[in-house]
Amino acid sequence: MKNVTAFVFGFNNYATEIIDNIVTEYKQVYLFSLDKVQKEYKGKTIHVFDLDDEWNEIETLMDTEETIAFCTLEDDATNIFLTISLRASFAHLVIVSLAKDKESANKLEMAGANKVIPIVKTTADIISNMMNRPIATKVLHNILYEESDLKIAQISVQNAEKFHGEFPADIDWSRYHGIIVLSIIHEDMSKEFIYSSQTKHKALVDGDILVVTGYEADILEFEKTIGRRHYVDWGNWSW
Amino acid sequence: MNLLKRFIVDSAYAVQTSKGYQKRKRFFYNLLENGENRYKKYFDTVMITLIFVSIAILIREVKHELPFHLVFFNSYVISIIFFIEYLLRFWVYGSVSQAIIKRYEYDTYLGRKFKLHKALRNILRFKLAYIFSPRAIVDLLAVLPFFHELRLLRIFILFRVFKLFRYTQSFQTMASVLATKKFEFFTLAMFAAMVVFVSSILIYVMEANNTASPIDSLYEAFYWSIVTISTVGYGDMVPLSDEGRFVAMLVIISGISVLAFTTSLFVSAFTEKLDEIREVKTIENISKINKFYIICGYQEVAREVAFSLVQKHKNLIILDEDEKRIENAKNDGFIALNYNPGSVESYEKLHVNINTQVQAVLCLMEDDVENVYTALTVRSINKDIDILSLLMNEANRKKLTYAGVNEIIYPQELVGMIVKELVGQPVAFEAIHELRSENSTINIHEIVISKRVLENYALVSELENQRYRLVLLGIYKNRYKKFYFNPLDDTLLEEGDYVLMIGNKVFLKEFETHLNKKSES
Repeated sequence: MKNVTAFVFGFNNYATEIIDNIVTEYKQVYLFSLDKVQKEYKGKTIHVFDLDDEWNEIETLMDTEETIAFCTLEDDATNIFLTISLRASFAHLVIVSLAKDKESANKLEMAGANKVIPIVKTTADIISNMMNRPIATKVLHNILYEESDLKIAQISVQNAEKFHGEFPADIDWSRYHGIIVLSIIHEDMSKEFIYSSQTKHKALVDGDILVVTGYEADILEFEKTIGRRHYVDWGNWSW
Repeated sequence: MNLLKRFIVDSAYAVQTSKGYQKRKRFFYNLLENGENRYKKYFDTVMITLIFVSIAILIREVKHELPFHLVFFNSYVISIIFFIEYLLRFWVYGSVSQAIIKRYEYDTYLGRKFKLHKALRNILRFKLAYIFSPRAIVDLLAVLPFFHELRLLRIFILFRVFKLFRYTQSFQTMASVLATKKFEFFTLAMFAAMVVFVSSILIYVMEANNTASPIDSLYEAFYWSIVTISTVGYGDMVPLSDEGRFVAMLVIISGISVLAFTTSLFVSAFTEKLDEIREVKTIENISKINKFYIICGYQEVAREVAFSLVQKHKNLIILDEDEKRIENAKNDGFIALNYNPGSVESYEKLHVNINTQVQAVLCLMEDDVENVYTALTVRSINKDIDILSLLMNEANRKKLTYAGVNEIIYPQELVGMIVKELVGQPVAFEAIHELRSENSTINIHEIVISKRVLENYALVSELENQRYRLVLLGIYKNRYKKFYFNPLDDTLLEEGDYVLMIGNKVFLKEFETHLNKKSES
């Protein structure tokens, strides 16, 4: 099931970038700030919250099964406190938190965040990759983030019988509209690279997820042929 | 102008404009005098070895009869090598042709008759300056055992030991450090000389008339004073009279003071110059690195980038104005200099060729103003160098672009994009993230198609990547600066192309070896 509501805690440059990028993905996006900096952002009201709150007001706005929370407070200690407060109150809430350094990232994970984005490390990795493998980094960046023709998608296999029991590594994927299959995620969420030794001995079954890359139109064709676009149920998704 | 003068001027111009001559002279100058020359260390090592061989032969010769070939080697071969070196140094010290041309052009400009004797006097002056320089004198004296008549003066061979000073940087460093305390050392020497002088006279006056006293002459009194003030005190000569012993007490106390003062002078001279010495050494090391990145600023992102690049065996140097941050960088094990990255002088002091040695400049200060300033500085020095910069505020993006930055990294934007992908396609995001991670077993490599590889692989279908369980993501055609995703089998490979392969690290490595191996056969 796809999350339908997003809560963004903190109002700063990171928060606004997140809001701009996710606003089309969710039916409802609620913004919360510790201080009353401004009333609204791009038509969305900014609610003021207190870390000592009982979260009663917030609870009324969310269905924890369908909500994702982004903790983006600038001070790491406060962000950790916010994360642990949310986890203590909402056991099933999906929490994505920002951390400056690795130490805070570890603490955020311990505090119950489902996913932590270590800002410094992520930025540094991108820079380092750009220096080390400039072309590969650019291509992957375009596939993943930019509005290029090349896309990456996760396709759930619906009619595995089409492959007549062939092993994924032996299938000539290019005959499927020129897409490239990078990896397979099995039902138990175990990941395999397309040419790993396991994929040479394990036939595709319905429910397997293929991570594919290619031109958008080709991916759509491929999707029609073998299954449907897969959306991850965040509640079951472990990082 | 008479014929001789005309001939000399023409010859000077011919020499000055001769590329071959100037190239050779520059080569020898760099070899002999330029500490940054890559061959100098080998040359110095050979010369140092010859000096040690020569000294070893001398020591052996004291009590043993040496075979003829060793004596010949020491007296002729080594001496001739030293003599050639002396002549080469004499040659590269100043330019005769340039001095003649300079004088000729000066006289011509003023409408005077060319005065050759003035040019020659100038040449003589700078060549004599070389000949009478302490190092050149040592060099010449080290050659003297070569001359038969002087061979008996074995003491000359000891000048070869002094030659070591020329080749050993640490001696020169020590001399330069001590030179900073010239005044203090002079004062100390004056004090010591005064004490020795006064005490020598006093002890002579007190002891010379005592028949039992070993101090019988002024020379012996002087010897006693030196031995006592230096706190060595052999004990072969001791004052016997009470007055003499009183003088001894004064000299001993003075000696301790002199020793303590000398030690403190050495320590303070080194402490004061230590940072400078380290800096010189660091710059020397930097100039020897073939390829490296310059990281401007050492804050959180810069630190992570530095660690990451070093992990990938990349060389880098860090420049930062902030002393504390530079100290941190040094403690982290990086080459770091407390230079302002926004100053042209900083890059000049580095003595590096930005075009050939610097791979990219990374402006990673967490302040847009400083990054813009640094980018502009670097761009003013070099138009082609790649500059990457952090952006802290979106409003400043254009300013960085105008400053000449090639790549801008805006962490907030990155986080936004990551989050979008993360919530939309977590599986795909993880798959790509894994490909980029150095710690993952499945990786993406960009393999350059060299001329060597191209000799055997003309088409994509010939690469045999599937045999190595590798996915060919695409080809980057350098000629068109364009990426071709999932290319057809009959796509032509060209020199300078990059193929992007995805697969197990081990197979990727094997595949690269395979490409080159087949070429060899």
